[in-house]
Amino acid sequence: MTQSGDANGKKRAARVAVVAAGVVSPLGFGLSETLDALRKARDCVTPVTRFSVTQCRCKTAGQVPDDRLLNKKRDTRAQRLHRASHMMIEALGEALAYEPQLKPELLVIGTTSGGMSYGEDYYRSLHRHRSLRHAPAWIANYPAQKPLIDAQEAFGISAPCQVIANACASGTNAIGHAFECVRSGRYQRVLTGGYDALSELVFVGFDSLQASTPEKCRPFDRHRTGMVLGEGAAILALENLDSAHARGARILAEITGYGVSTDNFHLTQPDPSGVGPRRAMERAIESTGTEALRLDYINAHGTATELNDAAEGKAISELFDGVPVSSTKSMMGHSLGAAGAVEAVVCLLALRHQFLPANINFRAPDEALDLNIVGNEARPAPLRTVMSNSFGFGGTNASIVMHKFET
Amino acid sequence: MSLAIAGMGWITPLGSGVDAVWNCLLCGEQACGEKITEQLGKQSYTAFRVPESALTSLTPHPRLRRASVISRFAAAAGFEALKNAGVNVDEKTAERIALVFAISNGGVIYTKRFYRSIVESGAQSASPLLFPETVFNAPASHLAAILGVTGAVYTLVGDGAVGLLAIKMAEDVMANATFDYCLVVGAEEVDWLLCDAYRRWRLLRFEPPVEPFRQPARGMILSEGAGAVLLAREGSPMIERINPGGHYRKRAEAEEILKRILSDLNETRIDFVLSSANGTFVDEAERKALAQVLPGALVYTPKPALGESVGAAGMWQIIIAALALRRGELPPLLHAELSSQLRISTARLSLPHANDAIVLSCGLNQQAAGLRLSIR
Repeated sequence: MTQSGDANGKKRAARVAVVAAGVVSPLGFGLSETLDALRKARDCVTPVTRFSVTQCRCKTAGQVPDDRLLNKKRDTRAQRLHRASHMMIEALGEALAYEPQLKPELLVIGTTSGGMSYGEDYYRSLHRHRSLRHAPAWIANYPAQKPLIDAQEAFGISAPCQVIANACASGTNAIGHAFECVRSGRYQRVLTGGYDALSELVFVGFDSLQASTPEKCRPFDRHRTGMVLGEGAAILALENLDSAHARGARILAEITGYGVSTDNFHLTQPDPSGVGPRRAMERAIESTGTEALRLDYINAHGTATELNDAAEGKAISELFDGVPVSSTKSMMGHSLGAAGAVEAVVCLLALRHQFLPANINFRAPDEALDLNIVGNEARPAPLRTVMSNSFGFGGTNASIVMHKFET
Repeated sequence: MSLAIAGMGWITPLGSGVDAVWNCLLCGEQACGEKITEQLGKQSYTAFRVPESALTSLTPHPRLRRASVISRFAAAAGFEALKNAGVNVDEKTAERIALVFAISNGGVIYTKRFYRSIVESGAQSASPLLFPETVFNAPASHLAAILGVTGAVYTLVGDGAVGLLAIKMAEDVMANATFDYCLVVGAEEVDWLLCDAYRRWRLLRFEPPVEPFRQPARGMILSEGAGAVLLAREGSPMIERINPGGHYRKRAEAEEILKRILSDLNETRIDFVLSSANGTFVDEAERKALAQVLPGALVYTPKPALGESVGAAGMWQIIIAALALRRGELPPLLHAELSSQLRISTARLSLPHANDAIVLSCGLNQQAAGLRLSIR
């Protein structure tokens, strides 16, 4: 417990450091490749190859290539693992390579569907009366929490875990909750993040809602037509700042605020007034305890659907004046439960390397939205404080504030 | 930080209502098995389902009109827990209530229906109305909307231990003074597909009874429903300590993690243990761990009576432990062999001086957790 006291003897919240990170996404494997893709504003959305999309409007997604993900020499048991498990192992491996001494007390991770495609394999085999020889392995590796447990096993981590499934806000909810766990002094070290792998059921689901686009993903563009899906995994290691300092850990950034709200408007649509996102952002700012906080960048949820971007854009423009905004989903798609975690890593890289990630495929500003969009190219900028937003089905909204580490 | 149980609610295969189901358990009743068939396979299964009559008291709400039955279960249990605590939810109190939802298999009925249309008729026939109900947080979202909760709403996924892990998460959430209450709900619905999956995993038996602690284990019977507890900072019983365990790598290693959990919770004299024994490998792991750490402890499992409800199971165990402490009585353990090397009672047992109980949960997919309830 490292809650320290102020001059009046009141408990002061602990500061929360990010001491390591790992990521795999369509942008690349690891922080270095991700940084390179972000700087070059690379479009990593490609035609879907994992399942047939002939009957779908949307034909593209951000995909993690199997030839890199699955080609590692692993034992027979590991070969049965789901792709989501392999992504988690990659991301966790990178974070632990950076901080091998880190002993987490808790893992808080977000996902939406875990090993869903194994459930699909099982159902299809039943339906077509095919061999069910692999069914026990599919069933054992299907549960949503399994990829996290697999990754823990791969690195000998036996700490308890909390797997949050708050739809598309899962990753940011996980980071925010982990942040609060450390800030409250209840925990010293928490691993957090998110994962999700593409699956046919989810892909067709978004297509059926006409939320996904047959064109390019153009967040906040006047002519935006919808989202594309993605996949990936990302991990952040959070630690009480005093504890990190005491053991000489490198501090990558600080997380300073978290806000969560539920708007209860509709299961899949945001309240058009933007009240849900606005409350989450307001609460995140309030939770930093800083008066007149100045934001230098917002990594928006920015799915490029008409309704989401309108609600989020309205909330941002009401709260902030001219803050640079981009949605990096334009480059890699929307990785659902992983999105908030991957985008937190994007924010971390932006802070560390002082640049604004781009909102690609941007052609024409939406005149109804008063936003300062970082269009098409990344650009250098002095950044101290950034925000990352994630909003999901069920009206769940989450925002975190990340700060450049300054001693 | 200690939290208290301020209110409870449940809907089970033995009906709904705290007192009604408790009385059924005390009388040694077992849920009725219902045959479940499906065109996907020739095999039929038996499950313990929630009777239609149990949902009649649930007030209709637009959000539940098209919702899957799991959302109705959750709403019914959640409302009862709030009513049981005497909490009227208005705009002000809703802001001070957090919601943590525990789930394992989720909305499997709608998920199957949605995917079936894709497999049989192609993606173009997929229903945009069904898809949103397939997401894990749909039941929590419906409940939050009905109650008007606008703050922290979390859905936690896991195996049968997820209910206890949700209590741990609620404890973390309640560290934030913004919240006066945390409503923790666990829910599950049963379907042929789940029965088939668990059978292929060699964990299910075709017909009741569930025989706890029997060697060799003969398998479990799946069930459905929901349980809810309203946590507050004051009340009784208190949740004195929660051990979120961790995970075990192989079934044979489950015993070790259970021993660690029991040792951590065993700080005071334990009057009884609410076990998660369900007729599978879990029973032997729990039996060995209990025999070593708490020899002679009185053990009860509700699963022969109520079945294995996975996501809801932990909440049911907590409710039973709380009721047993409050009312000084434990229901009879059904279908157990007296030679199980554990202290069990196959008759209704009076426990007028019981103060402390452990709730133990060993999930089927590598997770385990425990907590200690105390009444003073």
